[in-house]
This record gives sequence, structure tokens and C-alpha cells, in this order.
Amino acid sequence: MIKNPVTRQIKDNDGELIRAINDGKIDKFQDLVKRYEHRLYNFGLKMCGNVQDAEDMVQDTFLNVFRYLKDFRYETKFKNWMYRIATSTCIKKRRKSKFAPDRELSLEEFLPKDESEFNTELPFWAAQPLDKLLNAELAGHLKNAVVDLPEKYRVVFVLRDIEGFSTVETAEILNLSAANIKVRLHRARLFLRDQLKEYFKDE
Amino acid sequence: MNNEPHDHEKCLKLFRKLSEYIDRELDDASCREVEHHICQCEPCQACLETLKKTIELCKNMDDQPVPAAFSSKLRGLIRSVT
Repeated sequence: MIKNPVTRQIKDNDGELIRAINDGKIDKFQDLVKRYEHRLYNFGLKMCGNVQDAEDMVQDTFLNVFRYLKDFRYETKFKNWMYRIATSTCIKKRRKSKFAPDRELSLEEFLPKDESEFNTELPFWAAQPLDKLLNAELAGHLKNAVVDLPEKYRVVFVLRDIEGFSTVETAEILNLSAANIKVRLHRARLFLRDQLKEYFKDE
Repeated sequence: MNNEPHDHEKCLKLFRKLSEYIDRELDDASCREVEHHICQCEPCQACLETLKKTIELCKNMDDQPVPAAFSSKLRGLIRSVT
């Protein structure tokens, strides 16, 4: 039996606000909405692919956060806990509207079959600065490509590369191993790279 | 660039590790192995650079503003439960 359990000290920018809400200052929940509605809405857009589902996800997430906030144990960052709820809300929503099982992305489909398929020259787009490349058309193409990712890869990609969570945090949010997160992220990025290669192939 | 014979199997092995290399999540030995190979293999350099540019482009996609009507509705809903 552990006599003196060590409490994990988590540096959490939201800790003070969450404690205030849980101590009875419920009106401060609006501050939480203000702080996160933009991020959650954009997370929802990339995960769900349309405005209506993104709005529903944000609303359901905040309602669930409000409902379960008393159970938050301060053992993880609040933001990570909230994204766990948001992720689960997205996945439930998509399962209701789409019954097709997720496609697996195997590494082999991105591997050059033999040496002749290896490009030796750097494509022009990979050498261009971002401001020369990014325009509305490419952004639209990329957003569609993200939505086309099978869900299990998309959620890892969005959490890691768009929302900026670390591998360990993403593993915690999705209740997966860090190794699994790395595998899925790599395949998601390769999928998106192929979409970009296709987009630029005639230029 | 040197003139060592090209080892395609090595390319395939490193292909699996490129994201971890970019994210600086490889141990020192694996990292050195990737760097040693990359500096003498043009196809792998192209592979690495296209993957890095893909990530960079995705990270710099613009966010969308929250629709004002939805934001107002959400605040009203939260007011009604708090």
C-alpha cells in the first residue's frame, strides 16, 4: 500500500479557471467557452468536414464538459481532458451518419515499388516558400484531403499537426500507445503528401 | 554526395522513420543513421523534403472564424444551463 502517494504536479493554464467554476462561480463557464470555442470549432470542421456537424460537436462538447467538470481530477491538463470529450463526440457523430468501416492505410501503399519509382529530383513545390504556395485553392484541396483521411488516421493527424498536441498527449487523449500514434501519424502524412503530389503533378 | 552504391533496402527502412526523424523523436543512433543515409541519397532527400513541406503546409492552413449566429446561440444555451 502506498502511504504517501505523490500528487502529479501539472502546469495547467486553465487550472485556476476550472477551480473557480468548480468552486461555484458557474458564470465563469462563459470564459471557458470564449477561450475554446474557436479552437474546438476548427477542430470540428477538420474532423467532421462540414459546418453543421462542427457546430453540433462544439455544442455537445461544451455541454458534456459542463456536465462532467466536477469529475475533473486535475491529473491531466484540462485542455487534454476536453479534447478527449470532443474527440469522442466527433467519432460518435460520424458513426451515426456513416456506417462504412474505416479504411486501413498500409505503409506499403506509400512505398515506392522499386528504385525506378523513387524521384531523384526535388519537386518544385517542396522547394517553394510557404507564401508562394499557399492560396485559397490549395487550402481547399488540403482541407478536402484531410477530410478524406480515414477517421483513425485523421484524428491523430489533426491532434498532432493541427492542434499541436505531443505524441504522449495524443496517446493519452485517444487512449492509444505512443507507438500507435506515431504509426498512424506517419501514414496520415504520407497520404496527404500523395494528395499534394497529385495536385502539383501538372505544374 | 558520395559515390557509394545505392542501397534501396536502406531507403525503404528509413522511409518508415521519416516522421519520427522530422519530429525529433528518434534516439541518437537512429537519428545519425537517417542523417548519414540522407546526405548521400537524393531520392530520400526528396522524400524527406516533400514530407516536411506537406506538414508545413498543413500546419499553416487558415482557421475559420466561428459563425456569429452560432456563437450567440451557444452562449445563450450555456446561460440557460449555468
